[in-house]
Amino acid sequence: MDGAVGGLKGCLKVRGSQIRHLLEAKDTFLFDCDGVLWHGEKAVPGAPGVVNTLIGRGKRVFFVTNNSTRPRENYVHKFYRLGFTDVRREQIFSSSYCSAVYLRDVARVRGQVFVIGGKGIRDELREAGVPFLQEEEQERRLDVDGQPQPDATIFNCDLSADVKAVLVGHDDQFTFLKLAKASCYLKDPDCLFLATDNDPWHPLKDGRILPGSGCLTAALEVATGRKATVIGKPSRFMFECISSQFSGVDPAQCLMVGDRLETDMLFGSNCGLDTMLTLTGVSQMEDAEVYSKSERSTEQSFVPDYVVDSIADFLPAFEELD
Amino acid sequence: MAGSKCTRLSGALVKQVLDGVDSVLFDCDGVIWRGDTAVPGASEVVNLLKKHGKKVFFVTNNSSKTRKLYAHKMHRMGFDVTAEDVFGTAYCSAMYLKTVANFKGKVYLIGSNALKQELEDVGIRQTGVGPDHISGGQSDWANVPLDPEVKAVVVGFDEHFSYMKVNRAMQYLNDPSCLFVATNTDTRLPLEGGKAVPGTGCLVHAVEMAAQRQAHKVGKPNGFMVDCVAQQFGLDRSRCMMVGDRLDTDIMLGTNCGLTTLLTLTGVNTLADAQAHHASGCPERQKMVPDFYVESIADLLPALQG
Repeated sequence: MDGAVGGLKGCLKVRGSQIRHLLEAKDTFLFDCDGVLWHGEKAVPGAPGVVNTLIGRGKRVFFVTNNSTRPRENYVHKFYRLGFTDVRREQIFSSSYCSAVYLRDVARVRGQVFVIGGKGIRDELREAGVPFLQEEEQERRLDVDGQPQPDATIFNCDLSADVKAVLVGHDDQFTFLKLAKASCYLKDPDCLFLATDNDPWHPLKDGRILPGSGCLTAALEVATGRKATVIGKPSRFMFECISSQFSGVDPAQCLMVGDRLETDMLFGSNCGLDTMLTLTGVSQMEDAEVYSKSERSTEQSFVPDYVVDSIADFLPAFEELD
Repeated sequence: MAGSKCTRLSGALVKQVLDGVDSVLFDCDGVIWRGDTAVPGASEVVNLLKKHGKKVFFVTNNSSKTRKLYAHKMHRMGFDVTAEDVFGTAYCSAMYLKTVANFKGKVYLIGSNALKQELEDVGIRQTGVGPDHISGGQSDWANVPLDPEVKAVVVGFDEHFSYMKVNRAMQYLNDPSCLFVATNTDTRLPLEGGKAVPGTGCLVHAVEMAAQRQAHKVGKPNGFMVDCVAQQFGLDRSRCMMVGDRLDTDIMLGTNCGLTTLLTLTGVNTLADAQAHHASGCPERQKMVPDFYVESIADLLPALQG
């Protein structure tokens, strides 16, 4: 399905019959979540109907999210709560889950993982059987006045001998002490350096933003002089994860739907998928147009093939198919 | 001296070079001390230089002490100095805000008590020092109450650095008129025994990434600290030497300001590092090649004692 018009790549705003054509041509749909299916606890109007219908029509549907803050089990509940009634855990590919898979199956790490991250990451590691250092009290060893105890300062902290990987994700409990410990572990070039994702900030539903794991990873990269291996979008790994678990996933038959040009669209491009930007989230049409005029090939990869105002625009196309 | 680089400073050359210099700027960590231990011979070098009529100043990116505390540390180690001889980034950041930015307002500070003190000493109010643990949920963090008087975010070394601090800084920096100042971008803070902890550069980079903005950097290799010295004491840059252990801060600073540069090998960089920059064809890297090097600043002693 060629979206290019007169040499200008992509950015084709589609509706109606054009979407119907896509629905017929593709058998696999990958959706980002935040800003595409929902905003916080509120589903994008029409989104549940779209996803339920795609699944009902026998399309393969996967959810590919950089959000590492909750385990897949929680995502299943959230999907159900918001009206996406047929979503199973196996369809959900979060950066925390995929990081655990990477550590277990690709890196085959023998030893423990030092985690800078929350419950979402720890639960996935536990479930995958990847050992990690427990959340230590010494991270919070403060006296009654809130002063750090002498033996828990950044200058003098216990290190475990068995750490073979450092995994950085979203961590609202991030401290200098964790940064210092992680940099110590990463002095050993054989110690892996993984990041769930590189997003510098995340939007919340009311338009405000929060710092993302990208900032924490950046701090650690500066401290160590090393580059992290990034698991999440735009890296290809999450797609490789999907392909390894589901047979017959053909990039040419896939459509990646997301709201963030620099992660979702680049991810799609990196994996050889057609890409669709929905305007219900981070990136706007103007952003895509600016990139489409860029001379840098990296920025050209941010340009979506197709654009919709919302994935609810799929709904009329379903009716046409009937 | 034109054309020759990376020359070992020894023998008769030491006196020749020192005769051509009226002022000497020393970096501290890795040059005159390592952690809490003086480099052997360092205090004699500094004291003798002063006896020989040279002006001696200390220019350090380390923002974790006030100039008074630095002077105090130096006294303990036998250096004959006063607080006014010391130009640390805590002091210079306060000076930058006061004299260059003409800053009136409050600062959201990610930094040490020293940085707080230096700001207060020039009459700049600040908020934020010390631990800042997170509580509540995500929407609480995004809606942290912002002090309307805060008109600048300043980032220095902070052992209490946390996610919440990145968040607050980011929320303030959302206003493009809010200033963004960093003391320095060193990647490591050196400690005793060759150990190091992550430096201020890590913290600055985290905030820059969240805010999608670049900070104005006060410390080396930015020339502001040399301007500070010059403004207070006068400085003939053609007769001034910068002594340091880091090529990307100390030597780069010296080159940028037209000073004679001397690398000492008691700290971060090696001779091989300097030679690699020299051999590269890159003009930026050439700025990090020192005119001279010594194993330690104690190598200057024979010429000063003789």
